[in-house]
Amino acid sequence: MGILETTAGKVLSAYSVFLFLTVLAQAAARRFSTNVLLFSLQSAIIAIQVAVIGYHEKLVEAYVVAALIVLLKVVGIPYAFFRLIEKLQAPREVISATSAAESVFVAVGIICLSYAAVRSYASGVHAPEDGLAASVALILTGAFLMVSRRKALVQMIGLLVLENGIFLAALTTTFGMPLIIEIGIFFDVLMGLLLMGLFVFRIRDTFDHMDVSKLRKLRG
Amino acid sequence: MILLWPLGIAIFGAGVLFCLANPRTATRVALVLGAAEAAVLGDIAWQVYRHGVLTYGNYLRADGLTAFFLINLGLTTGLVLIYASGYMQEAGEDRFFSPRWFYALVFLFLFTMLGVCLSSNLGLLWIMMEGTTLASALLVGFYNTEGAVEAGWKYLVVCTVGIAFALFGTIVLYLAAVRAGISPNTALDWALLADAAPHAALDPHLVKLAFVFVIVGYGTKIGFVPMHSWLPDAHAEAPAPVSALLSAVLLNCALYALLRYDIIVSRVVGPAFPHALLLIFGLLSIVVAGLLILVQRDLKRLLAYSSIEHMGIAAIGFGLGGPLGLYGALLHTFNHSMAKSLLFFGAGNVRQKCGTVRMDRLRGLARVLPQTTGILALGGLAIVGLPPFSLFISEFAILSEAFSQSHYLVSALLLVTLSIVFGGFLHHFMRMICGEPTQTPGTARLLLSEWIVAGIAVACLLLLGIHIPHLFNNMLQQAVAVVR
Repeated sequence: MGILETTAGKVLSAYSVFLFLTVLAQAAARRFSTNVLLFSLQSAIIAIQVAVIGYHEKLVEAYVVAALIVLLKVVGIPYAFFRLIEKLQAPREVISATSAAESVFVAVGIICLSYAAVRSYASGVHAPEDGLAASVALILTGAFLMVSRRKALVQMIGLLVLENGIFLAALTTTFGMPLIIEIGIFFDVLMGLLLMGLFVFRIRDTFDHMDVSKLRKLRG
Repeated sequence: MILLWPLGIAIFGAGVLFCLANPRTATRVALVLGAAEAAVLGDIAWQVYRHGVLTYGNYLRADGLTAFFLINLGLTTGLVLIYASGYMQEAGEDRFFSPRWFYALVFLFLFTMLGVCLSSNLGLLWIMMEGTTLASALLVGFYNTEGAVEAGWKYLVVCTVGIAFALFGTIVLYLAAVRAGISPNTALDWALLADAAPHAALDPHLVKLAFVFVIVGYGTKIGFVPMHSWLPDAHAEAPAPVSALLSAVLLNCALYALLRYDIIVSRVVGPAFPHALLLIFGLLSIVVAGLLILVQRDLKRLLAYSSIEHMGIAAIGFGLGGPLGLYGALLHTFNHSMAKSLLFFGAGNVRQKCGTVRMDRLRGLARVLPQTTGILALGGLAIVGLPPFSLFISEFAILSEAFSQSHYLVSALLLVTLSIVFGGFLHHFMRMICGEPTQTPGTARLLLSEWIVAGIAVACLLLLGIHIPHLFNNMLQQAVAVVR
């Protein structure tokens, strides 16, 4: 019992560091598959966190949510992405508007900014400052991936990272929303990804490429 | 129980229509289901009017504000379905999707929008709002041309990210409510939260933060500048009935969602903060959209920017508050729906008959398409706010509220923008309508369905412009009472 408790405590206090590492690695990743794996790892960290909270607070709901995360975000979505890469036969490299070094630099800036942003709120809401900062960092990194990467698929990863951040924010501040709402949000995200996947195929079929930065017919 | 009916009809309709391969049968079934839907929505509005708030279970509720938006939704959807029955006949066989996909997706879209209006839980409301994006993205990309795919992708990405911010705002509000001792099960219910808000000590900083995220998030769906980038593309590339649905129903639903938060936040931190944000976004929207209207080359994009402008006007009305401002703003959402669907129907006809909606390629429409030109001219006169059309009344009400509160900057900007838009519309429409024709369309006559929708929309605009019926006025007052 004592060991379990201690381990749980350690994980709780260290998870934000792991999340910051995935953020930095995602900013630097040059291959699409690396990005997917990092997203999977990130979701796994969050799932463990949910389970630990469930254990601490004796919430059965939390185990359901953790199982859903593992099923969808750790296994399901990454698997679908790998299938998608195979089917599309797309080049594996991520084309970015910024170089790897610049991206890491931006990610570091984002982490500092996140700490600055949550400082005034963290004490008011009695939430761990690291967890809040990590969630803001995930949101901002997701947004950064969406604006700086040119491939439609990487933009989808950016959206997922952003969503992870929002989920983590809900988790660290209120131990999550009511279960039925959480499930609805999961469902929406899943449908959104399916639709985006559909549009990726359509973009490839109508434009013969997946570089969204070249979609600029509609202006003004 | 009655609150389940509209949702049930919509989801059932989507399922049934998807199974109907024959376009003609699908059209008929869609019309019947649409009529049933409109009847049920009318009944809900009537019951709310007579008996006050309706609730069903923990997740559905309709009050005066809901009822007013439901009337708007039911009427506009009815018009769109009638118009689509003619429009989809002429859609060629080479489209990527068939009419059954079209109708099934329209009913799914309808289901999500009804869900936004009827849900009593802010989390469920968010889920439904995200659902509207998902259901309509395929409709935006319906024609599967380069432009349509690009517009669909942009719509999906921009709105999903925008809505994600609204989710974050909702979580922050939930956090503030739970911290203040409100039980987690009621902390997301807008009515209970609004009732509890004045007494419970919600952290004002958190509530303000929540509202900022929510106005950015749902503002993306409303089309507030600078989050509007998806709107002109989606409206221009979607089939005309879908453009009308997006502009006349979806934007209103997003506005409705924002109003729910506005009511709660106003009770916690006072109306000054949320209303100032509404005024800022509203003014920014009308000024930018008003100027962009001048330089448009595409008729449907012109109409899309006009939607941004009118949502801005409504936001200004809500931002001003006061009985006249709120009355004007709510009436304006209804008027805008009528006028804008009329205009999109006209634009849809032009696109089908002339093959383009590029305004520089359209000349002498009055000669080649006299009846469609009539629709466009009436809609154009209504949308710029000329009397005797009802947009004049609602814009006048908002302006008088602005003057009576001594908001001279707001009044001046509103007046200048309205004049600019008036000039812009007159300029674009005169060039399209007059002159020597360059196109020779096949049939110039309107179908019966098009006569019906044009007749209903123009009748509503004229009726509300000359004399607002007693019943409608009372319903409107009930809606105003909810927002105050």
